[in-house]
Amino acid sequence: MIFGLRRSVVAATLLATLGAVVLAVLTWKGSQVTSESFLVTTYIGLFLGALWAMYATGLVVVYTTTGVFNFAQGAIGVFSAFLYWELHVNRGWHSILALFVVVCLFAPALGVTLDAVIMRRLRTASLVVQLMVTVAIMVLLLSVVGDIWEADTPRRVPYLFGINNGIDLGPSQLPWHRLIVFAVAIAIAVSMRFLLRRTRIGTAMRAVVDNRELAALNGARPNVVSSTSWALGSMMGALGGILIAPELGLDPATLNNVVIIAFAAAAFGALRNLPMAVIGAMLIGLLRAHTGAWLDFGPDFRFAHLAVAPLILLFVVVALPQARLEVGRLAHHLRRHERYTKWWEGLFGCGVVILLAVVFSGGWLDFGIWDPGAWGSRELNSANEAMALALIGLSLVPLIGWAGQINFAPLAFAGFGAFVYLKLAGDTGNGYWILLVGLLCAPLGALVALPAARLRGLYLALMTMAFAQAMSLIFFPHPWVMPIIGTGRQFPHIELFGVTFDDRRGFFLLMVCVFAIFVYGLVLLRRSRYGRRWMAINDSQAASATLGVPVVWTKVVVYAVSASMAGIAGVFWATVSGNVDSVQGFDLLIGFNIVLLVAAAGVSIPMAGIFLIFIPLFKGFGLRLEDAGNVDFLVTLLDIMTTYGPGLMVLGMVFNPRGAIFEMGRGFSPILPWRSDARAEIAAENAQKREPEIGELGLERPFNPEEVIAIDRRLGILDDVVPKEGYGTARS
Amino acid sequence: MALLEAEHVVMRFGGVVALDNASVDVDPGLVTGLIGPNGAGKTTLFNVVTGLLPPTSGAVKFDGVDITRATVAKRSQMGIARTFQKLEAFNTLSAFDNVRVAVEQNHRAKWKHRRVSDVAHEMLGKVGLDDVADVTVGTLPTGSARLVELARALACRPRVLLLDEPSSGLNEEETSSIGQLLLELVADKDNDLAVLLVEHDMSFVMGVCARIHVLDFGKIIAVGTPFEVQGNEAVRAAYLGGDEFRGAYAEMDE
Repeated sequence: MIFGLRRSVVAATLLATLGAVVLAVLTWKGSQVTSESFLVTTYIGLFLGALWAMYATGLVVVYTTTGVFNFAQGAIGVFSAFLYWELHVNRGWHSILALFVVVCLFAPALGVTLDAVIMRRLRTASLVVQLMVTVAIMVLLLSVVGDIWEADTPRRVPYLFGINNGIDLGPSQLPWHRLIVFAVAIAIAVSMRFLLRRTRIGTAMRAVVDNRELAALNGARPNVVSSTSWALGSMMGALGGILIAPELGLDPATLNNVVIIAFAAAAFGALRNLPMAVIGAMLIGLLRAHTGAWLDFGPDFRFAHLAVAPLILLFVVVALPQARLEVGRLAHHLRRHERYTKWWEGLFGCGVVILLAVVFSGGWLDFGIWDPGAWGSRELNSANEAMALALIGLSLVPLIGWAGQINFAPLAFAGFGAFVYLKLAGDTGNGYWILLVGLLCAPLGALVALPAARLRGLYLALMTMAFAQAMSLIFFPHPWVMPIIGTGRQFPHIELFGVTFDDRRGFFLLMVCVFAIFVYGLVLLRRSRYGRRWMAINDSQAASATLGVPVVWTKVVVYAVSASMAGIAGVFWATVSGNVDSVQGFDLLIGFNIVLLVAAAGVSIPMAGIFLIFIPLFKGFGLRLEDAGNVDFLVTLLDIMTTYGPGLMVLGMVFNPRGAIFEMGRGFSPILPWRSDARAEIAAENAQKREPEIGELGLERPFNPEEVIAIDRRLGILDDVVPKEGYGTARS
Repeated sequence: MALLEAEHVVMRFGGVVALDNASVDVDPGLVTGLIGPNGAGKTTLFNVVTGLLPPTSGAVKFDGVDITRATVAKRSQMGIARTFQKLEAFNTLSAFDNVRVAVEQNHRAKWKHRRVSDVAHEMLGKVGLDDVADVTVGTLPTGSARLVELARALACRPRVLLLDEPSSGLNEEETSSIGQLLLELVADKDNDLAVLLVEHDMSFVMGVCARIHVLDFGKIIAVGTPFEVQGNEAVRAAYLGGDEFRGAYAEMDE
């Protein structure tokens, strides 16, 4: 403790100040700072901060009262902004009426629906499922927006009262719009603080998240409470979206990314402290405005000034105290027996995958009624894209599936891998360097995980997201990193064992082999002491620690392994794309889709990665069907599946957290000749179904005499059962 | 000097004082009991001793060394093992793998260069779970999962074993065999083991403990042999204050 502050806070503040000063000196633009220009910049910063504070307030309210961190907050804002545009601009409604309909009718309805249908069921779910489902809602909302309001028409949301009306500040104007935003944001934050701390429903809201049962006994109605907070959170998202749209333009991705800044602001308040979250938002706003005004990062770092949010998040994560290992949160309830793939089963499965790939891509099959034929270049392109994605997806299996840690940045690691490979192998495409790529990506993964590994899992998830954003704003756009962009040069073909994989089919088969090696490696890893240790920290970190497992270090190692796999996969992904484009190839949203698909497939199972091949394959099939003509509905169907598939599948996790592959495996395994255990399990389940259900208290049918005796014996109230000397009597 | 000492431990959660200047000492070769009404702070004391909670003030000493600031894993490697009141078994692992994780991760568990699987099987055998070794723990009944936790803690070859209500979820025979096992373990001079036991089953506590600490509202109100504790007025008052132990106490009187 120094001046009553924690050491970590002091250290982080010093470090941040030092870094800021050094950066400022290095990149000072040289323009003169006058009190007027300084004031103008400050008020722009405060305005930006107010907008983010609105989002952050919604996040904090929902998190403190339901325990779910809502990644869809930004998407709710996007949807509302588009709806507002539709009503106000397209249909010509008055702005106040449109605002009322969207913010006070639509948004609460959306919030309550989300809560009633989905969120309430997530209360006891694992962090992975909670986050995946809110991310899925985000992706679904964005897809709906993309489908209803197609991107081809330019749209603008007007400022409230126009940009030119406002208070004259001398050198510039303070439009009413910005003044209103600022006032509304502060008013919302203050009233939410009042609601949570000073009112009856607020106290109930905070109590429910701590102990639902106890709060319910004391008269709080948990469902009403959670619906209220989702309605409020969603209203704040809607308002934020509508008010920020005039500033940023009506583009779904841009508007949605705003929420990352709100995440950083919410983290500044340790996700629960509303005033600190608002201060965090203001701080980010001010920093962003002032860096934009006074610093010049040069053409090589042209997006760097946008990277304030990731840096603030890093600061927060370093400053926060170590999280306590939680006990007593574990639900001792698993319906199904876990079984690990045996080493020879893994070998067999991988062999089958390679064989199928060879046979299918070569067109050596004719089913009589349907001859798939040899794959043309278009199918091969789709298949290659699919395999590269599947490889990236595999990197998430040990991390999300086993250790229960979240990584939203698989593509950022993949991009880094591609960069390292490009620097090492240059134009030769020498494939042996790939191994070194794997080694070099591991420290990066560890570095990303290190600051947040001692905190709760949510911070690690946020850190990876911040990392992904920082990479795409600072690292990838630098011309030295990916010199291929814009030059028209191609990523070199990979050369291995003296063979250059320059034809698409050869490259496809190479990737299938790498995929098989990865899968088999994972099968072995899962059976090893490392795999066991990772699954142990997923089940109970507290218990692992009391057995001597260094939990923080273990998490860091899993991230390193995952980053290493993603890096290797990135080499293939870059080769498939031909060129590495920082904006498209490694975009955060595509990263989300990969994570979602793997999660939906059943991320604890190595083969889950193969699920990722569906999206590009569907695209390929769609093109083929379009050629054939007259099957428009199929094309539409495939289109819908590609757009909404991942999100909808993840929503299924609410009911079946293990994922699709797991269920498919259960259906499939009984036909394997050596799986007599699976057949026995199915038989036992069927037998159970045939037996009449016995009500918990004998409500469905009366107890028979044997059961009555057994119950009496258990309760110790049967006369002829003398309780054994000393034991048991006291407990009954 | 005692092997494990908690000295003047204070634990505050906001305005709630869970532990108020509580001191407990545990000696090898015997089972020490820690009893008290619900909410007295017994589990909190366990959490402080194992490092899951940093105490507001006070110290924890192990073998004369101050370990108040040591990490949970470090303490485990020094020889402090525990079970949990609310189950913390690795649900997705088999019973065998639960124990195996402990044997693999704990330095103390490298028993005389024996194979990991042998040690794990032996530990499961000790608690009588041989036949469910390959069953996923999440599908086992609560009582068996509790025994898995015990086997897992034993596999660390602890010098101090902290047991948080081991008998809940077990039937009478299982409870008595656990009591028997504990007595055997502490009697074995090679183990040099100290056991600290939190338990609500009074007959069980009185049967196996050589010394008992009584905790009430975070304070230690009595220390002594089972006989001494039973005769203590403060203990009677603490227990008779709550209905649920009246029966238990009546039985202690007999």
